[in-house]
Amino acid sequence: MSHTVLVCDDAIFMRTMISDILAQAGFEIVGEAETGSQAVEKYRQLKPDLVTMDIVMPDMGGIDAVREIVKQDPDAKILMCSAMGQQALVVEAIQAGAKDFVVKPFQPSRVLEAVQRVLG
Amino acid sequence: MDLSQYAELFLAESREHLSACNQLLLDWERTPANPAPVGGLFRAVHTVKGMAATMGYGRVTDIAHRTENLLDLLRRGSRPATDELLQLLFRARDALETAVELSVVGREDELDVAEVVADLESAAALVAPHPLAPSPRSGEGERGGEVPPAAPGGGRLVEVTLRAEAPIKGGRALLALKRAQGLGVVHGVTPPQAALESDDFDGRFSFRLDSPVPAADIERAVRGAGDVEHVSVGGEERRGAAPRAPAPAGAPVEATPEKSRHIRVDLRRLDELMDLIGELVTVRGRLNELAAARRDPAVDDVAIQISRLSADLQAGIIQARMTPVWQVFDRFPRLVRDLARELDKQVAFRVEGKEIELDRAILDELGDPLLHLLRNAVDHGIETPAERRRRGKPPEGEIVLAAVRERASVAISVSDDGRGIDRARILERAQREGLVDPHAEALSDDQLLRVLARPGFSTADAVTSVSGRGVGIDVAVTRIRALGGSIDIRTEAGKGTSFVLRLPVTLAIVRALIAGVGRERYALPLTYVAETVEFGVQPTTLVEGREAIVLHDRVVPLVHLRRMLGVSGDAPRRCPIIVLEMGERRSGIVVDGMLGQQEIVVKGFDPPQGTLPVFSGATIMGDGIPALILDAGGLV
Repeated sequence: MSHTVLVCDDAIFMRTMISDILAQAGFEIVGEAETGSQAVEKYRQLKPDLVTMDIVMPDMGGIDAVREIVKQDPDAKILMCSAMGQQALVVEAIQAGAKDFVVKPFQPSRVLEAVQRVLG
Repeated sequence: MDLSQYAELFLAESREHLSACNQLLLDWERTPANPAPVGGLFRAVHTVKGMAATMGYGRVTDIAHRTENLLDLLRRGSRPATDELLQLLFRARDALETAVELSVVGREDELDVAEVVADLESAAALVAPHPLAPSPRSGEGERGGEVPPAAPGGGRLVEVTLRAEAPIKGGRALLALKRAQGLGVVHGVTPPQAALESDDFDGRFSFRLDSPVPAADIERAVRGAGDVEHVSVGGEERRGAAPRAPAPAGAPVEATPEKSRHIRVDLRRLDELMDLIGELVTVRGRLNELAAARRDPAVDDVAIQISRLSADLQAGIIQARMTPVWQVFDRFPRLVRDLARELDKQVAFRVEGKEIELDRAILDELGDPLLHLLRNAVDHGIETPAERRRRGKPPEGEIVLAAVRERASVAISVSDDGRGIDRARILERAQREGLVDPHAEALSDDQLLRVLARPGFSTADAVTSVSGRGVGIDVAVTRIRALGGSIDIRTEAGKGTSFVLRLPVTLAIVRALIAGVGRERYALPLTYVAETVEFGVQPTTLVEGREAIVLHDRVVPLVHLRRMLGVSGDAPRRCPIIVLEMGERRSGIVVDGMLGQQEIVVKGFDPPQGTLPVFSGATIMGDGIPALILDAGGLV
């Protein structure tokens, strides 16, 4: 059975792209969230195998969402999506419980590598 | 991966964010001490940056990155806005917009961003508290999985080198350390963990790991962090350590579920659907006519069902095309502000009825006419602060752009509290140019508009860069007429001017009265039909040389369509009058007969030269024969 993924990003553009990359690699996109609080809620509803999480989002950012999700499920597998120059935020996200990160601009191969590391 | 498929999405979403930036900047300008808009600005620019980087648009990414840096510093410093800073941010936003538009069409190289980039840099340097800004959360404590400080002692020495090209090496190193922690106790991290998070960190680090697991497992774990070039695991094994226990699960989190069920649809698809529905409506008309001729109940039944279904379908498509006016209005606050600055005027700009909806096709056409009217209001309407004070007005003028839903139309008004239009001067000019009766003593609002709407007629004393080239109102009037709408003007010296645009809610399919004149049929959209009365029943009078009837105590001038169109032969003795109403103006159209009401599909047409300016389009009737659509605006 294919792994299920929840894609969290406030930009439709990014959600579409990440979803396309993962769907083409055989993952099942079970949900999308535009804000941190949506991500937390949808994680609870959908219990996905993997979450991709943008850092900067309105109404609860990605890092706080990681904290909340990890509080619910310490084994949550969350892959952060960061931009160049967000070192401090990435470090904070990892300390909050994110399992790995990819840096925009995304290359599909790197996204898939990171996903494999997180799920493996 | 082919990125071009994402270009449209990139463009649409970037435009949204940049439009939001304008609004946020204006908000901040209004209350400079309140830094609340900065967070939103930061997020918007950040999102654009991420998308642009993914698309490989270097210039957009560059400007966005520097703007974001500056905003980040402002955000953390909670600084009030200065005028200089706001100007720079407006400029940066505009540069971003240009860069976005050019990038999408592959002309990114034409853009020179050096100046704005340099200004952003120097502004950031001024705002930055220290050469190295602190990370946003450091010092707030509670760093979840912080690696414990180095304890003296043994364990194996693990040396790691990250790939040179790996981005955010500090994050990668932290992941490696966390993975190592899963195998035992980590200490002696070199360089110290704080240095790993510095931008100067070169990707080489080492630590000691107290763990019983074989070296190969340690290496595999560390490599699992990704971007690892090289790992070496030394000897010296001492004591085992249990993997750290996971953190206890917390209480469930409260969050309200939000279900957004929107998708984006290319406008062209909606247009295609609209065209198809249009054809369906035409065929439906034919079917109804055939069914009526057959008098077969079974056929009637099917015809009625098809009518109902296609009507529902049509209503659904029209609804899908409805777009709130803010999508066009949202760019005006910035525009009015910039104009007012340029002209040294003080203007408070208010927008009302943003949520009112119009067909997308109409809305798209509204931008330019409104732009002209707003420019006129700022340039000619609102006086300078000094002049306003002299006249006992507050120095700040007011312009209101408002949308209101009326029966089957939407009224959009642009009102200012400025000096009003100088009727005497316009009258003088109009008389000099022979546009009005040389003996007329005053211009009514209607006449005033007619004069102003003449191409090339301008009363501006000087042509400014803003308006006064005589291409304001005539452009607006022509455009609005073409949409089947109307413009009214009301102006009072010293008090202000108000333009009201009335537009049909939808363009493509309208309900119309079908009138017969001679052997032709004509369609009159119901949007502006107030009522119908019978000619010959009402007594007619002459008002200002025009035949008119008095209806509900108001004079309604008559237009004999038969005469106007030059149809030969005699009119029937009793004919209907269709009373059209546009705003305050009314007119009675005398036709030969009324053939009923039906939905018509409006097709634009280019009238041949010499055609009377009373047709706004054409339609195909149920029997396949075309009919012209009468333009209420041209008849009233």
